[in-house]
Parts: sequence; structure tokens; C-alpha cells
Amino acid sequence: MTDKGTLRVEALSKIFDSGSADKGIVAVQDLSFNVQSGEFIVLLGPSGCGKTTLLRICAGLEEPTAGRVLLDRQTVSGPSRNRGMVFQQYTSFPWLTVIENVKFGLKYRPEVNQRHWNEIARHFISLVGLDGFEDSYVSQLSGGMQQRLAIARTLAADPEILLMDEPFGSLDTQNREFLQLQLLDAQQAENKTIVFVTHDVEEAIFLADRLLILTARPARLKTEIKIYLPKPRTLELKTGPEFLKIKREVLTYTREEAAKTDQLWRRQKKNEATPLRDERKFSLRRHKPKS
Amino acid sequence: MAFGFKQQLGRGQYLLFSGTSFVLVLVVWSILSYGRFIDPFFLPTPSTIVGTTIELFSQHNLVGDIWASVYRVMVAFLLSAAIAIPLGVLMSAFGPIAALSEPPIDFVRYLPVPALVPLTILWVGIGEESKILLLFIGTFFQLVLLVMDDANNVRKEYYEVAYTLGANTKDVITRVLVPAIMPNVYDDLRVTLGWCWTYLLIGEIVAASTGIGHLIQEAQRFAKPEVVMSGVLIIGVIGIISDYGFKVGGKLLFGYRRS
Repeated sequence: MTDKGTLRVEALSKIFDSGSADKGIVAVQDLSFNVQSGEFIVLLGPSGCGKTTLLRICAGLEEPTAGRVLLDRQTVSGPSRNRGMVFQQYTSFPWLTVIENVKFGLKYRPEVNQRHWNEIARHFISLVGLDGFEDSYVSQLSGGMQQRLAIARTLAADPEILLMDEPFGSLDTQNREFLQLQLLDAQQAENKTIVFVTHDVEEAIFLADRLLILTARPARLKTEIKIYLPKPRTLELKTGPEFLKIKREVLTYTREEAAKTDQLWRRQKKNEATPLRDERKFSLRRHKPKS
Repeated sequence: MAFGFKQQLGRGQYLLFSGTSFVLVLVVWSILSYGRFIDPFFLPTPSTIVGTTIELFSQHNLVGDIWASVYRVMVAFLLSAAIAIPLGVLMSAFGPIAALSEPPIDFVRYLPVPALVPLTILWVGIGEESKILLLFIGTFFQLVLLVMDDANNVRKEYYEVAYTLGANTKDVITRVLVPAIMPNVYDDLRVTLGWCWTYLLIGEIVAASTGIGHLIQEAQRFAKPEVVMSGVLIIGVIGIISDYGFKVGGKLLFGYRRS
């Protein structure tokens, strides 16, 4: 095993311009963590906490305001095929068939001869269980199948690391569990490092080797939990005592953060209501010279 | 049965309803003209029109006129599509190109095409070029903005996913943006082809010696309403045929959109 696919996030911060000059929205604040080769890391945090932003910075789709991200000791700048990304939204290209979608990234692997494209694509299609759908178009696939296609397409591009942004967020529970199992199998087979973002506690525990719990906005590291559940993982684990014990622990952290998110939201709403007073002042001043 | 909100019609039902509308027009027309409710000079009977059309075909080289018109439309339409599609794509992809080209395009887009007739004649004479230029102006400036708009509406995740798969900007444009907008661009073409035909008449009414527009203009001068109507009907039929061709072609080209 090589040490390829190690990720290092160093003192990362991201502030978005909010339009008003003095204050920006702090999405990520001074966040640092390491990911080892072949590790499955899950970032767990409440909705809107900045975990998607964090992942997008790792992918090179956003610039950090401060800090940096290193992949295999190289500072990341801009998107590249060594960091594959699976989005929450369906992103399979509807004008291509399943196999054409999977082959999309093979063009950018100079080491792969074009003669082997079909063979490689078929390998990844069957890895995610889409055999028999090679020539189907995306409009003929269910949501779960589209996400499996997205995973196959990303794996076929042979990235060092997979960044996954709530890829199963819009699926029903049954589909979701099935895809979780399949993802673990695929990771085992391809030996890839994965950074997976979710707000679903069960999903997080079930998938993770290591769980990073993030705070409500701005995203900071609240705590880190190593998950020692045996591998390969089975769905029965989810109802076992070990799993429930971890879940109870995780929930105490996430509930704290959920409460904070709620407060944050209320404060924001209140702030939105205040500018009225300034407006009145402004209009009075404007009318003065006329009278 | 078929009158539920947003209910899809079966093929038989569609033919029934569309056939009814055709028959209805014919019936009203027949009653008004054969019944002498309207002077036949203003509204010729259907049989007169059929007779006139046959006569035009056999004795007046109507095929030549139709060809002249179709040729002008095709050349102008293909020319504007060939420039508008790449330009619209580039305008959407690169801000400076959009900022450079949008003001003049918006300006020309609002000019009434008939007002440009004297200028086109002045610039390129009264030959084929002036008609084609006129049609080009009428369609190009609309089409380019429609294409840009389509390109602006492509979901940005498609680009992002392509970049993370290793594509460069050139490939993101040619392998993602362009195929993503093709179905919409095809619809744009279908709509703008219709506009092209309306401008054709303007082009041919002024200083032309061939074409359906010329035929109609001549008929007006010699007070032959049956020839005018015949010419109008022929344009309508050409429109229906080309639109149907577009529809069928669209289903073949973009069948992947059906679930």
C-alpha cells in the first residue's frame, strides 16, 4: 500500500462577503485535521454549518480565505482529477448513456489506453451494481441509480481521494442503506481515501473510520470520535448495543450544536428586522431641505 | 375524458381535435364565400384558391418562386445559426465577450427590420445579398441572445463535476456546456426559423423578381386576391412542414430526455 491519498487541512478559514462592508459571513473558522491514506472520514455537522464549503475548498472549487489544503504534501489550488467530488445534486450528464458518463473522465488519464476504456467503465459500472444499464440514459435511472453512477464515474477517473457532499441526502431510507453498504464495498475494493459530509448521525457512524463533529456556523472542530466497529460493516450493526452507545455519545454533541444553530437563526432574523429604523432616519434627512 | 387539467392526449385524440380545427376553418370559409356573405373579390372560395394554386404551379413557375424563397431563408438561417451559436456560447462562458457584444446586439435587436430595408439596399444592392442580409439581421440578433441565455441556465454542478474529473476549460465548454444546451438551442432554431419567414416577405416585397413575397406583391398590384391568398397558404404549408420536420428531428436527436 502506498501513502497516496493523504489530506491535510491546515488552519482553514473561509469568510464570504455578505454585501455589507464590515461583516462577512464566516463559514469555516480555523479548522485543521488530517486524513490518512485509505481512511474513511465523515464530517458531521448541522445543516448550513459550512461543511459543504469546507469540502468545496478541498476540491478546489472555492478559495480559502486563510489556511491551506494539502494533498500528498502538495498545496491544492483549483480543481483536479486527483480529488474526485460526488455532489448532493444529481450531476450525471443526461445527454450521455451510463457507460459514456463513466468514460467521461478516462480521457484525462494519460496512462490508460483508449482500447481499455470500455473494459474499465464496465468494471466500475458493475462495482456499483449498474450492470445491464450500460446503454441507458440518465432519464431512465432512479435517484439512487444516478448517485451510484456518479460514484462509478468519479472512481473511474482514479482520484487519490473522494470528496462526497451528502450524496445520499435525497434518497429514501432503504435506498440510502443499500448505497452505504455499496460505498463501503467499493472503498474496500478500490482502497480509496474518502471524506464524506453528512448531517445524518446514523449514516456518519455506520460509514466512518473516524468521525469529525463540526460546530454550528462557523464550522470548527468540536470533537473527534474514532469508530471501532468491525469491518466489513453490516446493517445489523445499526441496531447493536455498540452502535447505540456511540450514537448516544454523538447525539449529545450534535444536539448542543443544533440548539446553537437555532439561536443563530433567531439572532439573524432579529438583525434583519432592525434596519427599518435607519431607513426612517435616512428619509427624514432627505426631506429636510425641501421644507 | 380529455379535458382534465394538463391531461395528455392520445395520438387519436390529438388527430381528432387538430382535424376538427382544420375542418372548422374550412366550413366557416365555405359558408362565407359560397353563401356570398362576403364579396368573392375580398374572399375567394376554396375551390378558386385550389384552382389558382394549380394554375400557378403549371403556368407561372411557382416551384421556382418557392425555391427562391426557401433558398434565401436557408442561407440566412444557417448563416445566423453558424455565427450565433458559437458566439452565444462564448458570451456565456467569458464575461468580457458578453460585455463587449451585448450592447450592440441589444441595440440592433430592437430595430424594426423593415426600417433597415433602405440601408441594406444601399449597402449591398438589390440582389440576393440584400434579402439574405435582411433575414440575417432579423434572426441573428435574437438567436444569439437566446443561446447565451440557455448557456447561462446550465447547472454549474455540471461544470464543477467535469473539472474535478480532470477536464480543462476548453473541454468543459465542448463536452459539457455545448451538449447540455443543444436541446434548447434546437428549440430556439425552431422558433427563429418562423421569424425568418416573416422577414422574408419584407425582403421580397421590396425589389425582388422571384420568391413568394414577390408573387404576393405582384398579385396585390394587379388586384388578384386569390393569388395573394394562395401565396399566403403556401407559406403556411411550408411552415407546417418545416416545423413538423423539426419536431421529428428533435425526437430523434434528443430522445434521451424522455424517461
